[in-house]
Amino acid sequence: MSTAFYWSIAGTAAGLILVGLWGVLTRKHVLRIALAFTVADTGANLLLVWSGYLPGRTAPVIDGSIPASEITSAVVDPLPQAMVLTSIVIGVAVAALFVVVGVLASRRTGSADVRRMKELRW
Amino acid sequence: MIRTLAGLVIVLILGAVAAAVIPEMQMREELQGVGYSYASRGMDETGSSNLVTAVIVAYRGLDTLGEVVVLFCASTAVVLMLTLYPIGVKASEPSRIVAFTAKVLPAPIMLFGVYFIAHSHLSPGGGFPGGTVIASTFLLVMLGSSSVPDRNGRLPAIESLAGLSFGLLGFWGIMTAGQFLNNAFLGTGTPGSIISGGLIPLISIAIGAKVASEFSGVFKAFRNSGGEA
Repeated sequence: MSTAFYWSIAGTAAGLILVGLWGVLTRKHVLRIALAFTVADTGANLLLVWSGYLPGRTAPVIDGSIPASEITSAVVDPLPQAMVLTSIVIGVAVAALFVVVGVLASRRTGSADVRRMKELRW
Repeated sequence: MIRTLAGLVIVLILGAVAAAVIPEMQMREELQGVGYSYASRGMDETGSSNLVTAVIVAYRGLDTLGEVVVLFCASTAVVLMLTLYPIGVKASEPSRIVAFTAKVLPAPIMLFGVYFIAHSHLSPGGGFPGGTVIASTFLLVMLGSSSVPDRNGRLPAIESLAGLSFGLLGFWGIMTAGQFLNNAFLGTGTPGSIISGGLIPLISIAIGAKVASEFSGVFKAFRNSGGEA
């Protein structure tokens, strides 16, 4: 992986977080806000995985192709990947909760527009 | 207008912060700290070929137990709200393509999920992705059928049993090795064989069953909340 590609991943991750945040702040439809939230979530996960990357190395799954003595110089950091696995699952659960609250709130006000939800006014 | 401008200002400020901070994270050439410890000792200590699973289930097993609790809270909240306040949008009749796919694909997809869970210590995968794959088969079956699932299913029983067995496997470690969620008291076996990794495969099965039943319960609550098609 070239250096340019390495940094473009970081740029993509930061871009996804910012786009998601932009969507959460400016969109009006409650399901679009939930979607923007998951986009930001994806960006955060990508940034975490990127931070554990080491050049020229393989996934932290040890099979016959990696000699036991060279593990520490052959695999990328397993810790960020473990954290991201946790983060993805929690992200799905939070997104489901987000959608349910959004749908129920739009039932209550008769519109999916967040400007019509007076209880949530900011 | 105000909202768009405020959003633009906030996003630009955070973008400037990201542009200043991210280039400071230099590309590393070597593993450091806990990452190095996990990579150098992980396979000997846990018997798991998959170091990511070793971190999730063995080294940070207590955190995973906490994560399972968070997932349980979220799914319970979703099911509770959908049961108390039904959405009442009728589901449309499935198209022929979806109905046919829902007859053919669930079995291979579920087999793939079971493989994910059973080989969590050997190859990429684990309890969380495997459980999600299995839950997706239930979603596919629900999408391909116009009738709603039975309200009195056994999903809560499976979910409770899986959560309970995760905790009991942890206490088993206290009884035998004096440490909660101790991984090695069963013996770690030969890394790479299906019976290896100590407690890791058992906990993966518990996590997989719990995640699968929780997500299936969430899908079912959404489906039942709409009423008969």
